[in-house]
Amino acid sequence: MSTLRQIGFLVRKDLRIELRKKESLVSMAFFGVLVLVTLSIAVGGGRRVPPETGAGILWVAVLFSGVLGLGRVFARERENGCVAALLVSPVSPSSVFVAKGLVNLTLMILSQVVLVPVFFALFGQGLTGGITAVALPLVFLDVAFSSAGTLLSAVAAGTRRNEVLLPILLFPLLLPVVVLGVKASGAALAGAGAAAQGSVTLEPLVAFCAIYTVAGYLLFPFAAREV
Amino acid sequence: MSPRSSLALPALAALLVPAAAAAVFFYAPLEQTMGVVQKIFYFHLALALSAFLSFGVACGAGILYLLRRERRWDVAGAASVEIGVVFTALVLITGSLWARPIWNTWWTWDPRLTTSLILWLIYASCLILRSAVEEEGKRATYGAVVAVAGFLDVPIVFLSARVFRSIHPTVIRSDAVGLEPAMIWTLLLCLAAFLVLWAALFRLRCSLLHQEARVRDLQFQLER
Repeated sequence: MSTLRQIGFLVRKDLRIELRKKESLVSMAFFGVLVLVTLSIAVGGGRRVPPETGAGILWVAVLFSGVLGLGRVFARERENGCVAALLVSPVSPSSVFVAKGLVNLTLMILSQVVLVPVFFALFGQGLTGGITAVALPLVFLDVAFSSAGTLLSAVAAGTRRNEVLLPILLFPLLLPVVVLGVKASGAALAGAGAAAQGSVTLEPLVAFCAIYTVAGYLLFPFAAREV
Repeated sequence: MSPRSSLALPALAALLVPAAAAAVFFYAPLEQTMGVVQKIFYFHLALALSAFLSFGVACGAGILYLLRRERRWDVAGAASVEIGVVFTALVLITGSLWARPIWNTWWTWDPRLTTSLILWLIYASCLILRSAVEEEGKRATYGAVVAVAGFLDVPIVFLSARVFRSIHPTVIRSDAVGLEPAMIWTLLLCLAAFLVLWAALFRLRCSLLHQEARVRDLQFQLER
Protein backbone atom coordinates (compact mmCIF):
# COMPACT_ATOMS: atom_id res chain seq x y z
CA MET A 1 0.00 0.00 0.00
CA SER A 2 1.46 3.32 -0.97
CA THR A 3 2.21 5.99 1.64
CA LEU A 4 -0.40 8.34 0.20
CA ARG A 5 -3.15 5.72 0.48
CA GLN A 6 -2.12 4.97 4.07
CA ILE A 7 -2.33 8.66 4.94
CA GLY A 8 -5.72 8.80 3.21
CA PHE A 9 -6.98 5.90 5.30
CA LEU A 10 -5.82 7.48 8.56
CA VAL A 11 -7.34 10.85 7.69
CA ARG A 12 -10.67 9.23 6.73
CA LYS A 13 -10.69 7.22 9.98
CA ASP A 14 -10.22 10.34 12.12
CA LEU A 15 -12.70 12.42 10.17
CA ARG A 16 -15.29 9.61 10.42
CA ILE A 17 -14.88 9.48 14.21
CA GLU A 18 -15.22 13.26 14.27
CA LEU A 19 -18.35 13.12 12.10
CA ARG A 20 -20.01 10.58 14.40
CA LYS A 21 -19.02 12.04 17.77
CA LYS A 22 -18.69 15.72 16.79
CA GLU A 23 -16.55 16.24 19.89
CA SER A 24 -13.89 18.61 18.53
CA LEU A 25 -15.42 20.73 15.79
CA VAL A 26 -18.51 21.94 17.65
CA SER A 27 -16.56 22.88 20.76
CA MET A 28 -13.80 24.56 18.68
CA ALA A 29 -16.24 26.77 16.78
CA PHE A 30 -18.34 27.48 19.87
CA PHE A 31 -15.34 28.39 22.03
CA GLY A 32 -13.92 30.62 19.27
CA VAL A 33 -17.24 32.48 19.02
CA LEU A 34 -17.27 32.82 22.82
CA VAL A 35 -13.81 34.40 22.74
CA LEU A 36 -14.93 36.81 19.99
CA VAL A 37 -18.05 37.81 21.92
CA THR A 38 -16.06 38.27 25.13
CA LEU A 39 -13.46 40.43 23.37
CA SER A 40 -16.20 42.46 21.65
CA ILE A 41 -17.71 43.26 25.04
CA ALA A 42 -14.23 43.86 26.51
CA VAL A 43 -13.36 46.55 23.92
CA GLY A 44 -16.58 48.37 24.71
CA GLY A 45 -19.34 46.67 22.73
CA GLY A 46 -19.88 47.66 19.10
CA ARG A 47 -17.13 50.27 19.08
CA ARG A 48 -15.02 50.55 15.92
CA VAL A 49 -11.58 48.94 16.22
CA PRO A 50 -8.51 49.83 14.12
CA PRO A 51 -7.53 47.11 11.57
CA GLU A 52 -4.44 45.92 13.51
CA THR A 53 -6.42 45.49 16.71
CA GLY A 54 -9.17 43.71 14.78
CA ALA A 55 -6.61 41.32 13.30
CA GLY A 56 -5.22 40.69 16.78
CA ILE A 57 -8.69 39.87 18.13
CA LEU A 58 -9.36 37.43 15.29
CA TRP A 59 -6.01 35.70 15.87
CA VAL A 60 -6.56 35.31 19.60
CA ALA A 61 -9.90 33.61 18.92
CA VAL A 62 -8.38 31.37 16.23
CA LEU A 63 -5.42 30.33 18.41
CA PHE A 64 -7.53 29.54 21.47
CA SER A 65 -10.12 27.55 19.54
CA GLY A 66 -7.34 25.74 17.67
CA VAL A 67 -5.54 24.60 20.80
CA LEU A 68 -8.84 23.23 22.12
CA GLY A 69 -9.20 20.88 19.15
CA LEU A 70 -5.51 19.98 19.06
CA GLY A 71 -5.52 18.37 22.50
CA ARG A 72 -8.02 15.77 21.29
CA VAL A 73 -6.05 14.79 18.17
CA PHE A 74 -3.59 12.64 20.04
CA ALA A 75 -5.32 12.10 23.37
CA ARG A 76 -8.01 10.13 21.54
CA GLU A 77 -5.45 7.59 20.32
CA ARG A 78 -4.05 7.20 23.78
CA GLU A 79 -7.26 6.25 25.54
CA ASN A 80 -7.64 2.71 24.25
CA GLY A 81 -3.97 2.06 23.56
CA CYS A 82 -4.48 2.89 19.89
CA VAL A 83 -1.03 4.48 19.67
CA ALA A 84 0.62 1.08 20.13
CA ALA A 85 -1.64 -0.36 17.44
CA LEU A 86 -0.77 2.51 15.09
CA LEU A 87 2.95 2.04 15.67
CA VAL A 88 2.76 -1.73 15.19
CA SER A 89 0.76 -1.36 11.97
CA PRO A 90 2.77 -1.15 8.74
CA VAL A 91 2.39 2.63 8.63
CA SER A 92 5.48 4.75 9.23
CA PRO A 93 5.20 7.19 12.18
CA SER A 94 5.91 10.05 9.78
CA SER A 95 2.76 9.15 7.82
CA VAL A 96 0.83 9.25 11.09
CA PHE A 97 2.21 12.76 11.59
CA VAL A 98 1.05 13.87 8.14
CA ALA A 99 -2.39 12.32 8.67
CA LYS A 100 -2.87 13.88 12.10
CA GLY A 101 -1.67 17.23 10.80
CA LEU A 102 -4.13 17.08 7.89
CA VAL A 103 -7.02 16.17 10.21
CA ASN A 104 -6.18 19.08 12.47
CA LEU A 105 -5.83 21.41 9.47
CA THR A 106 -9.29 20.35 8.24
CA LEU A 107 -10.86 20.91 11.64
CA MET A 108 -9.27 24.36 11.97
CA ILE A 109 -10.37 25.50 8.51
CA LEU A 110 -13.92 24.22 9.13
CA SER A 111 -14.15 25.98 12.49
CA GLN A 112 -12.89 29.20 10.88
CA VAL A 113 -15.68 29.00 8.32
CA VAL A 114 -17.87 29.82 11.32
CA LEU A 115 -15.45 32.10 13.18
CA VAL A 116 -14.51 34.55 10.43
CA PRO A 117 -18.10 35.58 9.50
CA VAL A 118 -18.90 36.02 13.21
CA PHE A 119 -15.79 38.20 13.50
CA PHE A 120 -16.95 40.40 10.63
CA ALA A 121 -20.46 40.61 12.09
CA LEU A 122 -19.09 41.83 15.43
CA PHE A 123 -16.14 43.96 14.34
CA GLY A 124 -16.87 44.57 10.63
CA GLN A 125 -17.59 48.31 10.75
CA GLY A 126 -14.65 50.41 9.69
CA LEU A 127 -12.72 47.50 8.14
CA THR A 128 -12.26 47.92 4.39
CA GLY A 129 -10.77 44.47 3.71
CA GLY A 130 -13.21 41.58 3.39
CA ILE A 131 -13.25 37.88 4.24
CA THR A 132 -11.05 36.94 1.28
CA ALA A 133 -8.33 39.35 2.45
CA VAL A 134 -7.65 37.52 5.72
CA ALA A 135 -8.03 34.03 4.21
CA LEU A 136 -4.41 33.69 3.03
CA PRO A 137 -2.66 34.58 6.33
CA LEU A 138 -5.17 32.39 8.17
CA VAL A 139 -4.44 29.36 6.01
CA PHE A 140 -0.69 29.81 6.61
CA LEU A 141 -1.35 30.03 10.34
CA ASP A 142 -3.42 26.84 10.16
CA VAL A 143 -0.61 24.95 8.40
CA ALA A 144 2.06 26.12 10.87
CA PHE A 145 -0.27 25.54 13.82
CA SER A 146 -1.17 22.04 12.66
CA SER A 147 2.39 20.90 12.01
CA ALA A 148 3.97 22.35 15.17
CA GLY A 149 0.85 21.45 17.14
CA THR A 150 0.72 17.81 16.03
CA LEU A 151 4.35 17.33 17.08
CA LEU A 152 3.78 18.94 20.47
CA SER A 153 0.44 17.21 21.07
CA ALA A 154 2.31 13.90 20.85
CA VAL A 155 4.75 15.24 23.45
CA ALA A 156 2.00 16.59 25.73
CA ALA A 157 -0.11 13.42 25.40
CA GLY A 158 2.71 11.42 26.97
CA THR A 159 2.65 13.52 30.14
CA ARG A 160 0.06 13.54 32.88
CA ARG A 161 -0.68 17.24 32.44
CA ASN A 162 -1.73 17.13 28.79
CA GLU A 163 -4.28 19.97 28.77
CA VAL A 164 -2.05 22.41 30.67
CA LEU A 165 1.22 21.61 28.92
CA LEU A 166 0.05 21.80 25.31
CA PRO A 167 -0.63 25.56 25.17
CA ILE A 168 2.45 26.24 27.35
CA LEU A 169 4.66 24.46 24.82
CA LEU A 170 2.87 25.55 21.66
CA PHE A 171 2.29 29.28 22.12
CA PRO A 172 5.97 30.28 22.54
CA LEU A 173 6.86 28.35 19.37
CA LEU A 174 4.03 30.03 17.48
CA LEU A 175 4.79 33.59 18.62
CA PRO A 176 6.71 34.46 15.42
CA VAL A 177 3.77 33.28 13.30
CA VAL A 178 1.46 35.42 15.39
CA VAL A 179 3.73 38.43 14.85
CA LEU A 180 3.80 37.94 11.08
CA GLY A 181 0.19 36.89 10.69
CA VAL A 182 -1.24 39.79 12.66
CA LYS A 183 0.86 42.21 10.58
CA ALA A 184 -0.27 40.61 7.31
CA SER A 185 -3.96 40.37 8.18
CA GLY A 186 -3.96 43.81 9.80
CA ALA A 187 -2.71 45.25 6.53
CA ALA A 188 -5.27 43.18 4.62
CA LEU A 189 -8.10 44.45 6.79
CA ALA A 190 -6.95 48.06 6.31
CA GLY A 191 -7.55 47.90 2.54
CA ALA A 192 -6.02 46.98 -0.78
CA GLY A 193 -3.13 49.50 -0.72
CA ALA A 194 -1.85 48.36 2.62
CA ALA A 195 -2.42 44.71 1.70
CA ALA A 196 0.33 44.85 -0.95
CA GLN A 197 2.69 46.19 1.71
CA GLY A 198 1.66 43.49 4.16
CA SER A 199 2.34 40.72 1.66
CA VAL A 200 6.09 41.13 2.44
CA THR A 201 5.41 39.34 5.71
CA LEU A 202 3.93 36.36 3.87
CA GLU A 203 7.35 35.06 2.75
CA PRO A 204 8.65 34.40 6.29
CA LEU A 205 5.23 32.91 7.08
CA VAL A 206 5.69 30.37 4.28
CA ALA A 207 9.23 29.66 5.54
CA PHE A 208 7.81 29.01 8.98
CA CYS A 209 5.25 26.56 7.61
CA ALA A 210 7.96 24.70 5.69
CA ILE A 211 10.38 24.50 8.64
CA TYR A 212 7.74 23.23 11.02
CA THR A 213 6.37 20.67 8.62
CA VAL A 214 9.85 19.25 8.02
CA ALA A 215 10.83 19.42 11.71
CA GLY A 216 7.59 17.71 12.73
CA TYR A 217 8.01 15.05 10.06
CA LEU A 218 11.51 14.24 11.35
CA LEU A 219 10.93 14.61 15.11
CA PHE A 220 7.43 13.12 15.43
CA PRO A 221 8.54 9.45 15.29
CA PHE A 222 10.77 9.99 18.36
CA ALA A 223 7.98 11.61 20.34
CA ALA A 224 5.28 9.14 19.26
CA ARG A 225 7.30 6.13 20.40
CA GLU A 226 7.30 7.42 23.97
CA VAL A 227 3.55 8.06 24.33
CA MET B 1 35.76 13.36 37.02
CA SER B 2 38.20 13.77 39.92
CA PRO B 3 37.28 16.30 42.65
CA ARG B 4 40.31 18.45 41.92
CA SER B 5 39.67 18.88 38.20
CA SER B 6 35.98 19.65 38.86
CA LEU B 7 37.09 22.59 41.01
CA ALA B 8 39.47 24.12 38.45
CA LEU B 9 36.80 25.85 36.33
CA PRO B 10 34.75 27.25 39.25
CA ALA B 11 37.97 28.56 40.83
CA LEU B 12 38.96 30.26 37.57
CA ALA B 13 35.45 31.74 37.27
CA ALA B 14 35.65 33.00 40.86
CA LEU B 15 38.82 34.87 39.87
CA LEU B 16 37.73 36.13 36.45
CA VAL B 17 34.21 37.40 37.23
CA PRO B 18 35.30 39.83 39.99
CA ALA B 19 38.25 40.88 37.81
CA ALA B 20 35.83 41.63 34.96
CA ALA B 21 33.56 43.61 37.30
CA ALA B 22 36.57 45.57 38.54
CA ALA B 23 37.66 46.30 34.97
CA VAL B 24 34.16 47.49 34.08
CA PHE B 25 34.04 49.93 36.99
CA PHE B 26 37.66 51.11 37.34
CA TYR B 27 39.45 50.51 34.01
CA ALA B 28 36.87 51.13 31.27
CA PRO B 29 36.41 54.84 30.48
CA LEU B 30 33.08 56.59 30.99
CA GLU B 31 30.95 56.77 27.83
CA GLN B 32 30.38 60.33 26.61
CA THR B 33 26.60 60.56 26.19
CA MET B 34 25.22 57.63 28.17
CA GLY B 35 27.55 57.98 31.16
CA VAL B 36 27.66 55.29 33.80
CA VAL B 37 24.56 53.53 32.42
CA GLN B 38 26.60 52.27 29.48
CA LYS B 39 28.70 50.06 31.78
CA ILE B 40 25.94 47.46 31.96
CA PHE B 41 26.61 46.74 28.28
CA TYR B 42 29.73 44.65 29.06
CA PHE B 43 27.73 42.18 31.15
CA HIS B 44 24.74 42.34 28.82
CA LEU B 45 26.69 41.33 25.72
CA ALA B 46 28.74 38.66 27.52
CA LEU B 47 25.58 37.13 29.01
CA ALA B 48 23.76 37.24 25.67
CA LEU B 49 26.56 35.39 23.87
CA SER B 50 26.79 32.74 26.59
CA ALA B 51 23.00 32.31 26.52
CA PHE B 52 22.98 31.76 22.75
CA LEU B 53 25.85 29.31 23.20
CA SER B 54 23.82 27.28 25.67
CA PHE B 55 20.79 27.10 23.36
CA GLY B 56 23.05 25.93 20.56
CA VAL B 57 24.56 23.30 22.87
CA ALA B 58 21.05 22.23 23.93
CA CYS B 59 20.04 21.75 20.28
CA GLY B 60 23.21 19.77 19.48
CA ALA B 61 22.84 17.62 22.59
CA GLY B 62 19.16 17.06 21.71
CA ILE B 63 20.01 15.78 18.22
CA LEU B 64 22.75 13.54 19.61
CA TYR B 65 20.41 12.15 22.27
CA LEU B 66 17.70 11.32 19.73
CA LEU B 67 20.26 9.54 17.55
CA ARG B 68 22.31 7.74 20.22
CA ARG B 69 20.06 7.48 23.32
CA GLU B 70 22.97 8.04 25.70
CA ARG B 71 22.37 9.57 29.11
CA ARG B 72 25.26 12.03 28.88
CA TRP B 73 23.61 13.89 25.99
CA ASP B 74 20.36 14.22 27.93
CA VAL B 75 22.30 15.53 30.92
CA ALA B 76 24.20 18.02 28.75
CA GLY B 77 20.95 19.21 27.16
CA ALA B 78 19.19 19.63 30.50
CA ALA B 79 22.13 21.54 32.00
CA SER B 80 22.49 23.91 29.05
CA VAL B 81 18.76 24.68 28.89
CA GLU B 82 18.76 25.55 32.60
CA ILE B 83 21.80 27.84 32.30
CA GLY B 84 20.45 29.35 29.07
CA VAL B 85 17.14 30.28 30.68
CA VAL B 86 18.88 31.91 33.66
CA PHE B 87 21.34 33.81 31.43
CA THR B 88 18.62 34.99 29.03
CA ALA B 89 16.56 36.21 31.98
CA LEU B 90 19.62 38.22 33.08
CA VAL B 91 20.08 39.55 29.53
CA LEU B 92 16.47 40.75 29.49
CA ILE B 93 16.80 42.34 32.94
CA THR B 94 20.12 44.11 32.22
CA GLY B 95 18.73 45.28 28.87
CA SER B 96 15.63 46.69 30.55
CA LEU B 97 17.71 48.50 33.16
CA TRP B 98 19.72 50.11 30.37
CA ALA B 99 16.68 50.89 28.19
CA ARG B 100 14.76 52.72 30.92
CA PRO B 101 17.10 55.77 31.06
CA ILE B 102 18.29 55.57 27.42
CA TRP B 103 15.13 54.70 25.44
CA ASN B 104 12.79 56.00 28.17
CA THR B 105 10.95 52.67 28.27
CA TRP B 106 11.47 49.31 29.96
CA TRP B 107 10.44 47.35 26.91
CA THR B 108 10.00 47.83 23.18
CA TRP B 109 9.28 45.34 20.38
CA ASP B 110 12.67 45.55 18.78
CA PRO B 111 13.96 42.57 16.71
CA ARG B 112 16.63 41.54 19.19
CA LEU B 113 14.42 42.02 22.21
CA THR B 114 11.67 39.99 20.56
CA THR B 115 14.13 37.23 19.66
CA SER B 116 15.51 36.99 23.18
CA LEU B 117 12.07 37.02 24.80
CA ILE B 118 10.68 34.32 22.50
CA LEU B 119 13.76 32.13 23.07
CA TRP B 120 13.39 32.61 26.81
CA LEU B 121 9.71 31.59 26.65
CA ILE B 122 10.46 28.50 24.51
CA TYR B 123 13.21 27.20 26.76
CA ALA B 124 11.36 28.07 29.97
CA SER B 125 8.45 25.95 28.65
CA CYS B 126 11.01 23.20 27.99
CA LEU B 127 11.99 23.32 31.67
CA ILE B 128 8.32 23.11 32.71
CA LEU B 129 7.93 20.09 30.44
CA ARG B 130 10.95 18.39 32.00
CA SER B 131 9.56 18.92 35.48
CA ALA B 132 6.23 17.36 34.42
CA VAL B 133 7.62 13.99 33.26
CA GLU B 134 8.87 11.38 35.73
CA GLU B 135 10.31 8.58 33.59
CA GLU B 136 13.88 9.30 32.52
CA GLY B 137 13.75 8.06 28.93
CA LYS B 138 10.52 9.87 28.19
CA ARG B 139 11.71 13.11 29.77
CA ALA B 140 14.94 12.98 27.80
CA THR B 141 13.18 12.40 24.48
CA TYR B 142 10.58 15.13 25.04
CA GLY B 143 13.19 17.58 26.27
CA ALA B 144 15.34 16.87 23.21
CA VAL B 145 12.41 17.25 20.78
CA VAL B 146 11.39 20.62 22.23
CA ALA B 147 15.00 21.87 22.43
CA VAL B 148 15.59 21.04 18.76
CA ALA B 149 12.25 22.46 17.60
CA GLY B 150 12.89 25.59 19.67
CA PHE B 151 16.30 26.18 18.14
CA LEU B 152 14.88 25.79 14.63
CA ASP B 153 12.71 28.75 15.54
CA VAL B 154 15.73 31.07 15.76
CA PRO B 155 16.12 31.98 12.05
CA ILE B 156 12.38 32.52 11.73
CA VAL B 157 12.28 34.65 14.84
CA PHE B 158 15.01 36.79 13.29
CA LEU B 159 13.05 37.08 10.03
CA SER B 160 9.77 37.86 11.74
CA ALA B 161 11.38 40.37 14.06
CA ARG B 162 12.50 42.36 11.02
CA VAL B 163 8.93 43.62 10.60
CA PHE B 164 9.62 45.73 13.69
CA ARG B 165 11.79 48.81 13.36
CA SER B 166 15.14 48.25 15.06
CA ILE B 167 16.47 50.74 17.59
CA HIS B 168 18.88 48.35 19.29
CA PRO B 169 22.45 49.67 19.04
CA THR B 170 24.86 47.68 16.88
CA VAL B 171 28.22 48.10 18.55
CA ILE B 172 30.15 45.41 16.70
CA ARG B 173 29.69 45.71 12.93
CA SER B 174 31.44 43.78 10.20
CA ASP B 175 33.61 46.75 9.18
CA ALA B 176 34.57 48.26 12.54
CA VAL B 177 34.10 48.08 16.30
CA GLY B 178 32.60 51.26 17.72
CA LEU B 179 34.56 51.11 20.95
CA GLU B 180 37.64 52.62 22.61
CA PRO B 181 40.62 50.18 22.98
CA ALA B 182 40.18 50.18 26.77
CA MET B 183 36.52 49.33 26.29
CA ILE B 184 37.38 46.48 23.92
CA TRP B 185 39.78 44.98 26.48
CA THR B 186 37.13 45.23 29.18
CA LEU B 187 34.59 43.61 26.88
CA LEU B 188 36.96 40.76 26.03
CA LEU B 189 37.70 40.18 29.72
CA CYS B 190 33.95 40.11 30.46
CA LEU B 191 33.36 37.66 27.61
CA ALA B 192 36.13 35.37 28.87
CA ALA B 193 34.82 35.60 32.43
CA PHE B 194 31.26 34.70 31.50
CA LEU B 195 32.30 31.90 29.15
CA VAL B 196 34.40 30.37 31.94
CA LEU B 197 31.49 30.86 34.35
CA TRP B 198 29.21 29.16 31.81
CA ALA B 199 31.58 26.22 31.45
CA ALA B 200 31.93 25.92 35.24
CA LEU B 201 28.16 25.93 35.79
CA PHE B 202 27.70 23.52 32.92
CA ARG B 203 30.18 20.97 34.30
CA LEU B 204 28.87 21.23 37.85
CA ARG B 205 25.27 20.87 36.72
CA CYS B 206 26.15 17.94 34.42
CA SER B 207 27.91 16.01 37.16
CA LEU B 208 25.06 16.74 39.59
CA LEU B 209 22.41 15.51 37.14
CA HIS B 210 24.54 12.49 36.39
CA GLN B 211 24.84 11.62 40.08
CA GLU B 212 21.08 12.06 40.57
CA ALA B 213 20.45 9.60 37.77
CA ARG B 214 22.97 7.15 39.25
CA VAL B 215 21.28 7.35 42.64
CA ARG B 216 17.93 6.59 41.00
CA ASP B 217 19.51 3.60 39.21
CA LEU B 218 20.82 2.26 42.52
CA GLN B 219 17.46 2.74 44.24
CA PHE B 220 15.81 0.89 41.38
CA GLN B 221 18.26 -2.01 41.74
CA LEU B 222 17.71 -2.18 45.50
CA GLU B 223 13.94 -2.34 45.13
CA ARG B 224 14.09 -5.33 42.84
